[in-house]
Amino acid sequence: MEKIKVSKGFTPRLAGKPDYSLITLPDPDTIGVSAMDIPFIRPKLLVKENDRVRTGTPLFCDKRDKSIQYVSPGTGMVKKILFGERRRLQEVVITLDKLDEFIQFDPITGSGTGSGPESSLKSGRGHTLNNISKTALIDRLKQGGLWQSLRQFPAKDTADSSHTPAMIIVSLNGNDIFSPHPGLLLEKEKPAFEFGLEILKKFSNRIIVTARQGSLGRLKTINTLISHLVPDSYPAWDPGVVLYHLKKNIKENTSWCIGAEHLVMMAKFLLTGRFPVKKIVTVTKPGDQKPHFLVHQGMPVKAIAGSLPKDSLITTGQFNGRITNKESHLGFFENTLNIINGNENEELFGFIRPGIDKPSVSHTFLSSLFTNPGQVDGTLHGEIRACINCSYCENICPNDLMPNFIMKALHSDEIEDALEYGLLDCCRCGLCSYACPAKIELTQILSSGMDSHYKDKA
Amino acid sequence: MKPLKKLFDRYEADFTGSGKYKRLEPLFDATRTFFFLPSPGNTILPFIRDHLDLKRYMSFVLIALVPVLIFGIYNTGYQSGLAAGETHGILNSLLIGAGYVLPIILVSYGVGFFWEILFAVIRKHKISEGFLVTGMLFPLTLPASIPLWQVALGISFGVVIGKEVFGGTGRNILNPALTARAFLFFSYPVSMSGNIWVAGKTTVDGISSATALAVTGMEGQSITKALVDSGFSLSDLFLGFVPGSIGETSALCCLLGAVFLMVTRIGNFRIILGGIAGLVVTSIIFYFIPGGRESWANAGPLYHLSAGGFLFGISFMATDPVSAPGTNPGRWVFGFLIGFLTVTIRVINPAFVEGTMLAILFMNVFAPLLDHGVVKYKASKRIPNV
Repeated sequence: MEKIKVSKGFTPRLAGKPDYSLITLPDPDTIGVSAMDIPFIRPKLLVKENDRVRTGTPLFCDKRDKSIQYVSPGTGMVKKILFGERRRLQEVVITLDKLDEFIQFDPITGSGTGSGPESSLKSGRGHTLNNISKTALIDRLKQGGLWQSLRQFPAKDTADSSHTPAMIIVSLNGNDIFSPHPGLLLEKEKPAFEFGLEILKKFSNRIIVTARQGSLGRLKTINTLISHLVPDSYPAWDPGVVLYHLKKNIKENTSWCIGAEHLVMMAKFLLTGRFPVKKIVTVTKPGDQKPHFLVHQGMPVKAIAGSLPKDSLITTGQFNGRITNKESHLGFFENTLNIINGNENEELFGFIRPGIDKPSVSHTFLSSLFTNPGQVDGTLHGEIRACINCSYCENICPNDLMPNFIMKALHSDEIEDALEYGLLDCCRCGLCSYACPAKIELTQILSSGMDSHYKDKA
Repeated sequence: MKPLKKLFDRYEADFTGSGKYKRLEPLFDATRTFFFLPSPGNTILPFIRDHLDLKRYMSFVLIALVPVLIFGIYNTGYQSGLAAGETHGILNSLLIGAGYVLPIILVSYGVGFFWEILFAVIRKHKISEGFLVTGMLFPLTLPASIPLWQVALGISFGVVIGKEVFGGTGRNILNPALTARAFLFFSYPVSMSGNIWVAGKTTVDGISSATALAVTGMEGQSITKALVDSGFSLSDLFLGFVPGSIGETSALCCLLGAVFLMVTRIGNFRIILGGIAGLVVTSIIFYFIPGGRESWANAGPLYHLSAGGFLFGISFMATDPVSAPGTNPGRWVFGFLIGFLTVTIRVINPAFVEGTMLAILFMNVFAPLLDHGVVKYKASKRIPNV
C-alpha cells in the first residue's frame, strides 16, 4: 500500500458525522431517475408517461451516444416526467409495484473459477470474464445501464468505450466528507469487489484503489486490495486529486475513475444478470448523528431526509454536490444528503465579532484556537468583491492550481493561458470558492471554463 | 438591535430601485452592511463558505494599526511638548497629539470617502472596504505639521489616480496610500521634508525637528556617534520617542502590528520577513564597504531597521495584497528587494532620505512582472493537460 502525499486541502470541523450502523429503509411508493447528476448528458427519452417499466428497462439514453442507457431501478408505471428550464429532463418518476420484475441478462462469471452457473454452461451461451470479448462486455454494461459508472478525465464525462485509459482509479470514499463508509459498502461484498477489479483489468493495465487513512480501520477484509492510501483532509480521496498526484505523463490525463459502490454494482450485475437496486446512503445534519441507510435506488429525498427545519438547504455534497429538494429523488451518482441551515441572518457588526463558533481557514476568528465543530450554515458570509490576490485559494487548492490567476485568464478570454496554468487539473472540489474572502465563485468560473473547453473540443 | 434594523428597512425603498435617493444607494448600502453583515444563501457550490470576508480582512489591518496610531498620537504631543520646552504627561501628550492628528485622519477619511462614494455612484458598484485601510495609512505617513488642505489634496490624488482610475480596489497597480504620500512629497517638499517633523511652535534652541535619517556625521565622526549626539539613541529610535511621521516612529509598535498581521495571516509573512532580511543583508554589505563612516552606509542593520518608516512600510504598506505579488516566491523577492532598495536609496541618494516609500512604490510596479515569472515557471513544471 503506497501513501499519496497531499499537502494542501482542508479538514473542516463539521458536525453531523454519521455513525457506523446500517438501517434498512422500506421501499418507497415512488422512485425517480434523475438526470441532474449526469455530466454533459443530452437526454433522449425512451418511455412515455403511464408506460409500464421493469427493473432494467431503459428510460432514456444520451443523444451523444445512444448506446449509453439509463435504466429503471424498479418495476412499475412511469408516473411523471419532469422537465426543468429549457425543457431539460430532470427526472423520470416511477410508481413502484409490489412485485419486482426485471430484465434478465445472462450471468458472466469470474475467470478461472470454472464454477459458473450450470444453466449457462449447458446452453452454450455462458461467459466467463476470460472468454467474453471486450466489446461484448462493454455492450453488456451499456445495456445494463452501468457503463456510465466509469468516468473519464479531465472533464469527468462518461467514459469513452473506444479509449484505453492509462489507469483506472477506484475510490472507496465518496464525494462528501461524510459519504458512506467504505467498510459498510464493502464488508459483505469482497467477492463482488474483487470481480469488479477483474472487469476493470479488461480496460486498463493499471488499476488504482484508493482509501482514506481514516477508513482503513474498518477495512480489514479488503485492505489487501487497496493500492494507495490518501490523507484524511478533504478532498484528498477525490479521484481528480489522486490522478494529479500520481500522473507522470500526458497520456494519463485521460484516465478513468469509478466509485467503489458502482464497481460493486457493475460486478453484481454481471454476476447475476440483474440490475442491482439497493444502495447505501448517509444523511448529515448538524447536531444530529444519523446511521447509514440501505435504500432503494432513486429513493425520494423526503423519505431519507426525515423532518427538516425551516430554511434548510439539502445538498448532495456540501462542497461539490448539487442542491436538491424534498420533492426530488436521489441520483445514480449521489449517496449523501446534507441538511444545512440556510437561514440568511444579518448579524450586527458581523465583520468584527470574535467568532468562537465560526470555523474558518483563516486565523482571524477565535475559533482557530479550538478544535470543536463550529456553526456551519449555507450562506455566503459577506459580499462579492474584486480579487485582492490574497492567495487563500492557492494555499488551499489540492492540485496546486492558482485559481485567482486562472480566473483572470478566463475572464480575459486567454483560454490558452488558463490551460497552461493547469485549468484541466481542477477537480471541482469547491475549496477555492469556500476560502475566498472576496466571495468570488472561483469553482464555478473554473468549472464552466473547463466545460466550455471540453464541449468545444468534442 | 431591532430598532436599527427597522430604520434601515424603512428607508431601504428610498435608496434602492426607483427611490428618491437611488443615486446614493452605495452610501446606504455601505452604512447598512457596516452594521449588518449580509449573508445571502448559497446557490452555487460549495454550499458552505468560510466566514472571512473582505470587511473583516481590511478591519484587521486597522486593528493592527491601533498601537501605531495611539503611540503616534502620544508621540506627536510629546515631541511638540519637548519643542516647546515642556515635558507633558501621558494624558496631556495624548490630548495635544490628538488635537494635531485627529483632524488629519478626519480629513483623510472624509475627502477619501467622498471620492469613493462618487465613483461608486457613477459606476453603480458597491463601496469597497479597501479604503478603510488607505484612509488610515495615509495620515500615519504624514508629519503632524502638514496643512489640512494638503491632506485633502493628497488623499484625492491617491484615491482617484492611485486606485479608482484603474477600476477600484483590487485593480490598482500602486499602493494608494503611498501614491498619495509620494504626490505630496514631490509636490510640496516644503511641507514634507526638512525640519517639519514636530508639530507646534519650536521655542527651544538646539531641538532639531528633522528625522534621524537626515543626520550625517561630521568629518571623521561615525554615524552612530552622530545619531546619539543628535538625540537619536537606538532605544529611542526603537521605541519611537523621536520626530517623524505620525505613525512611523515606533519600530516596536510597527513590529507589534506586523506580528498581529502575520499571526492572523492577513499580512503575508513572506513580504515582511523577506523585507527585513533584505534590509539587514544590504545594510551589512554597506557596512563592510570601506569609507562612508559618517554616512548611513555605516549605520548597520539595527539603526536601519529602527529609523525611518521601514518597518511601518514593510508591515502595512508592502503587505497590501493588491499591489504586492500574488505568488509566494514573488512575495519573497518583492520583500527582499524593498529592503535592499530602502537601504540603497538611503545611502546612495541623500536627496531622498526616506527610501522606503520609493522602494515600495518601485517594487509595486514590478509585482506583476514577478508574478508573471513565477506563474510561467510553475506552469512549465506542470504535466500539460490540454
